[in-house]
Amino acid sequence: MNTSAAQLRERSRALAPGVGLSLARGVAPLVACLVLAVALQIAVRPLMGDYAAKLVLDIGVAVILAVSLTIVNGFTGQFSMGHAGFLAVGGYASGAVTYYGSLKVWGSAATHGGLLSGRPMSVDPSTLPLIGSGDLLFVGALLVGGLTAAALGLIVGLPSLRLRGDYLAIVTLGFGEIVRVCIQQTGPVIRTAAEAAQVPAWKLATSVGGALGFTGIPKYTSLFWVWLIAGITIMVAYRLKRSTYGRAFLSIREDEIASEAMGVNTTRYKVWAFVISAFFAGIAGGLFAHTLGVGLSAEAAGFLKSFDIIIMVVLGGLGSVSGAALAAMVVTLLPEWLRGKHVGPVDLSQYRLVIYALALILMMIFRPKGLLGVAELWDRSLWTSLAARLKRLAGGKGGSR
Amino acid sequence: MSGSDVILDVRGVSKSFGGLKAVQDFSLSLSQGGLKGLIGPNGAGKTTVFNLLTGVYRPDAGTVRLGGANLVGLRPCAIAEAGMARTFQNIRLFGQLSVLDNVRLACHLRSSGTMTGAVLGSVFARGQERAMTERARELLRLFDLADREDEEARNLPYGDQRRLEIARALATGPAVLLLDEPAAGMNPQEKVELRQLIRRVRQEFKVTILLIEHDMGLVMDVCERIAVLDYGQVIAEGTPAEVQSNPRVVEAYLGEAPAEAGHA
Repeated sequence: MNTSAAQLRERSRALAPGVGLSLARGVAPLVACLVLAVALQIAVRPLMGDYAAKLVLDIGVAVILAVSLTIVNGFTGQFSMGHAGFLAVGGYASGAVTYYGSLKVWGSAATHGGLLSGRPMSVDPSTLPLIGSGDLLFVGALLVGGLTAAALGLIVGLPSLRLRGDYLAIVTLGFGEIVRVCIQQTGPVIRTAAEAAQVPAWKLATSVGGALGFTGIPKYTSLFWVWLIAGITIMVAYRLKRSTYGRAFLSIREDEIASEAMGVNTTRYKVWAFVISAFFAGIAGGLFAHTLGVGLSAEAAGFLKSFDIIIMVVLGGLGSVSGAALAAMVVTLLPEWLRGKHVGPVDLSQYRLVIYALALILMMIFRPKGLLGVAELWDRSLWTSLAARLKRLAGGKGGSR
Repeated sequence: MSGSDVILDVRGVSKSFGGLKAVQDFSLSLSQGGLKGLIGPNGAGKTTVFNLLTGVYRPDAGTVRLGGANLVGLRPCAIAEAGMARTFQNIRLFGQLSVLDNVRLACHLRSSGTMTGAVLGSVFARGQERAMTERARELLRLFDLADREDEEARNLPYGDQRRLEIARALATGPAVLLLDEPAAGMNPQEKVELRQLIRRVRQEFKVTILLIEHDMGLVMDVCERIAVLDYGQVIAEGTPAEVQSNPRVVEAYLGEAPAEAGHA
C-alpha cells in the first residue's frame, strides 16, 4: 500500500526542478515585495501628501486582514466571525512588548526607528540609520503578537471540529466579544520606567489600559512595514492555495465527507487554517497598534470590525486571494470617498453600513460567489468567461432592438 | 474463510439507528484481487455497509480487518490511508474544483512534504506537485477525461462525473475499492463502457473491488462472487449462477418464491 507513496516520491525526485531556478522563484516574490514596500515608503508621502499616505497604509492593513480571513472563510469554508478578536490580541500583545520593552531599554516610550519605519515629524531623517534598533524590537513585537494570536487560533479552531455553519459563526462571534470584555478588565498603563521596573513581567502584560485604551505605544508602523507584510501575506496565501495543502483546504469547503474519504485529515487542516489565519491577523493587529493616530482600545476586537473584514472577503469572492485584497481596498476607500457627499440633506458617509448591507444583498442575488469567486485576478479563465458574458449581453441587446 | 490471500475480512458487524437494525451480524471476506458484488433490494443496508467499512459510521459490534489490521474506530481519513477507497451513490465531487484538482487532491494522501516547503516553493515540494499532476493526468487519460481537466467538476455530464469519482478514488492508491452504484443514471452505452472500465481498473491497478449495483446484467456479468443483503443480513453468497437460483434471494426480490427458479 505504501508503494504508491514511494513511487510518488521517486517520481517527484525525477521531476524536481534545478536548485538554482527553484531558489530564484522562491526568492523573487520576496524581493518584489521588498522593492514595492521601499518604493511606497519613498514615493507616496512626498508625492501625494499625508492624507493619501495614511489611506495607503490603512489599505495595507486591511489587505492583510482580508487575505488572512480568506484562509479560513474562503479556503476551508468555515465561517468565522471573530477575526477582529485576533487583530486585537495581536495588537495588544505586540503593543505591550514595544511599550514596556522601550521603557526597560531606553527608559521612555519614544521611537528608536530607522529611515524605513514611522517617526515623528520633528526628527530629521538625515540623522537616521536605515534600520534602527527600535525596528528590531518592533519586528520582534509583531512576531509575538502573531504567535499569541495563533495560539488563540488553535483554541478557537478546536470547536470548529464539531461545529458547522451557523453554530461555528456564533462561537467565533462569542470569541471576539470575550476578547473585548477581557481587554476592558485590564489595569491602567504604567507610565514611568521606574514604576515598570518594580512590577513583575506578567503584571505588565495585563497593564494595557483597560476601558481607557492603550495609549503611548511607540508609532513604528510605516508604509514600508505594512506593505512588506501585506506582500508576504498575499504570497503565502496564494502559494498555499496553489499547493496540495490548498486543495485539501478547498476540498473541505466543497464536501467534507468526500474530503475525509479521500484521506484528508479534515480536523488537522481546519485547525491549521485557523492558526495560520490568526497569525497574520495578529501581525496586522501589531501594525494597527503602532500606527500614528490610532488609539488602540477594546473596540478593536468588536463585532463591527469583524464584520468589516467579512464584507471584504465575501465581496472579493470566497477563496480568491486577489479578490479579498481588491475588496479590502474598495471597502477602505469607500467611507473616505463618501465623506462630504450629500444626497439632499443626507450625509452619505453615515450610511456606510447600510451601503455594505445593500452591496451584500445585491451580491447574493446577482453573484453569490463574490466578485471573483474562487478565481484570481490573473487567471485567464476569469477574463474569458467575463468576455463571453459581455458578448452574450451585447448580443442579447442587439437581438431585442 | 481466512486464507492468506484474504485482504478484507469483515466479521459480525452490526449497526442500529435507534430501534432500526440497519445492519446485523454482517460478515464478508474479499480475496486479493477479487471482484465481489453486493446486491439487495432497496433499503437492505448496502450503503450502510459501505459507510461502516469506511468509518463514516462506527459499528456497534464486529471487526473490519484490512490486510490484518483492524479498522474499527479509525477515522475515515485513516481508513483511506490504510488502503480503502470508495465512490458515493449520490455523487460527491468537489464541484467548484477543476477535474484535474479533484484527482490531484486524492493524490495528497500519498504525498510527503511540509506546508512550509510548499509556501517557500522548495525543490522537493515542486517535484511533488509535478509528480501529483502527472499521476492525475495519467488517471484522467485512462478514464477518458483528459480533455476536460480544466472544467469545474460540477459541469461534467452525469456519466463523466461517475467516472471521475472512480478515478479520484484510485488516486488515493487503494488496495480495496468500494464502488457504490457506479452505473446509476448511465445510459446503456455508458454501462457497456463501464463494464470494460471496471475490468481494466482491476487488472491495471491490481485492486480488489466490492461493488454495489442495481443493474443485474452488469453485476452478473462482471462479478465473480455475489453477496445478497436483505434487512441488514447476508442471506446468500456464491457465484452469480448460484445466487440466481437461490430461492431466498428470489423471495427477497419478488416477495414469494415463484414456481420457476430464475431471474432475480
